[in-house]
Amino acid sequence: MKAFREFVARLSDACAVIAGVLLALAIAVIVYMIVRRFIGFSTDWELEFAVFMMVSSLFLGSPYCLKTEGHVAVGLLETALSPHNAAWLRFASQVLGLAVVLFLAYLGYEKTLESFLQGEVTESSWAPPKWPLFATMPIGLGLTALQYIALIELPFSSRREQPNV
Amino acid sequence: MSELQIGLLILIATIAVLFSGLPIAWGLTLVSVVFLVIFEGPSFLNNIAVVMLDELASFALLTIPLFILLGAAVGGTNAGRDLYESLHRWLVRVPGGLVIANILACGIFSAISGSSPATAAAVGKAGVPEMLRRNISARLATGSVCAGGTLGILIPPSITMILYGIATETSIGRLFLAGVVPGILLVILFAVYAWLSSLRSEKLNAYIEQQRFTWAEKMQGLARVSPFLAIILFIAYAMYGGIATPSEVAAISAALALVFVVLIYKAGNRESQWKIFRETVRESTMILMIIAAAAVFSYMMSLLYVTQTAAQWLVDLELNRWVLMLVINLFLLLAGMFLPPVAIILMVMPILTPVLEANNFDLIWFAVILTINMEIGLITPPVGLNLYVLKGVVPDVSLKDVLLGSMPFVFIMMGSMVLLSVFPDIALWLPNQMMGASQ
Repeated sequence: MKAFREFVARLSDACAVIAGVLLALAIAVIVYMIVRRFIGFSTDWELEFAVFMMVSSLFLGSPYCLKTEGHVAVGLLETALSPHNAAWLRFASQVLGLAVVLFLAYLGYEKTLESFLQGEVTESSWAPPKWPLFATMPIGLGLTALQYIALIELPFSSRREQPNV
Repeated sequence: MSELQIGLLILIATIAVLFSGLPIAWGLTLVSVVFLVIFEGPSFLNNIAVVMLDELASFALLTIPLFILLGAAVGGTNAGRDLYESLHRWLVRVPGGLVIANILACGIFSAISGSSPATAAAVGKAGVPEMLRRNISARLATGSVCAGGTLGILIPPSITMILYGIATETSIGRLFLAGVVPGILLVILFAVYAWLSSLRSEKLNAYIEQQRFTWAEKMQGLARVSPFLAIILFIAYAMYGGIATPSEVAAISAALALVFVVLIYKAGNRESQWKIFRETVRESTMILMIIAAAAVFSYMMSLLYVTQTAAQWLVDLELNRWVLMLVINLFLLLAGMFLPPVAIILMVMPILTPVLEANNFDLIWFAVILTINMEIGLITPPVGLNLYVLKGVVPDVSLKDVLLGSMPFVFIMMGSMVLLSVFPDIALWLPNQMMGASQ
């Protein structure tokens, strides 16, 4: 289990690095677009490309965000409970979180497949296929689900580890 | 079951789910899925991915990760310390100058970073230990940074204003401008309070007598932070001069900030860059995920006709418009104590926008009122983010002192909301001057 947790933690870090690179790419492309426009050239693909980078970055950054407890939660109920009950509540909320993320990953997969089979493209003049963008949703959220599994604390076990930040 | 009853059920379920500790993004999705299945059937679930992806695929949203990157780049360096130190050298002989320097540093830093917790952390790290060393009470020292930090979401560029602009389809440039004068007003009011609180401190006055700084010392820190101040001027010039869109301005500002932190603060190594980007990825993922989930939540509310019915119900109450405004603000204040501004704006504004319009409230003016209200939420328990950020930065001061120190500033903010209600031009004058009268 320890090896699995370490593997998932590294995977989340790696995704965060890719997410960071995608954001840097978005910046570079927008700056390039502005420079091109400034010297009189028209722009076509840059804007859409930057948005694609942002959305991909969001989904790929999601496992790292979960690993570092970046997703904001209001754990008020937990503070009012006994340690034993609080552990059960934490467990329940982690299982619910896992279920939601898996469900969204599945919906993302369905949408990607549908888009791929229909050969869906965007409405711009550049008209790239949409499925690679959609695919980042099931990939990112699938990895987030994996990160959830690595983080879940069983309320009846003695393990109480802090997430590896 | 009527739409209003469904709405009440949704409210109760949302509160229960969110308080359980489930992250807000997943909580909103869960509530939406459950209510869609119960009241519309499972066939509508297929639209959830489309709603999320459509919401996210927006060029305007790109401003959010880019401005966060700008803040992370500057926040990760010692720019906060330099800014504070420099202002301190200029203001040391003014009564209350130490605290005023702190508040001014917060105001300026928030203009660079656009984030309240980042401002509280960056200025607090340098300012609070300095103030404590110089005999300022722990409450005033921490309270001023907590409150000063909240200016991050009012003074442009502000992530909160961007979200409001997207939710209400109002001009982000106009919203940014509307935050400027109220932001300056709050800085002045905070500074006046700091000055009055420091007047009677003999120990402090004795200390001030000993302090002297040469011109070279006064200019030193300022020189290091001036490139970042130039970014603010660039943002103002490019955005309001109509040269570039907010997203383009955000991209150039982020690129400039990255170059400056490498050149000035030697943050070019892999470790520093990783730190900047991982902070950006973490925070923007959190915000964008809530935005995507809130879109699903709004879709569900609208499909079940709850948004429209709730808005109509509020209009039909025919309350006096200022009573209505008071009720809205009390509700927002309560929500702000538990939820981050991003979730509140995206969940509440679809209902409130038609109500505000029916009661002839200016949406740009209301953005400022709402933002100050959200600022209060950042420094009030139980989930006042700035309180905990600051407590983390200065562990020696008790949370109670941080909290009590922030309270006078909460009253100042409430006072400023009353002022803004009596004189709406405090917010509207600048945007109307620079971009023409409101649409």
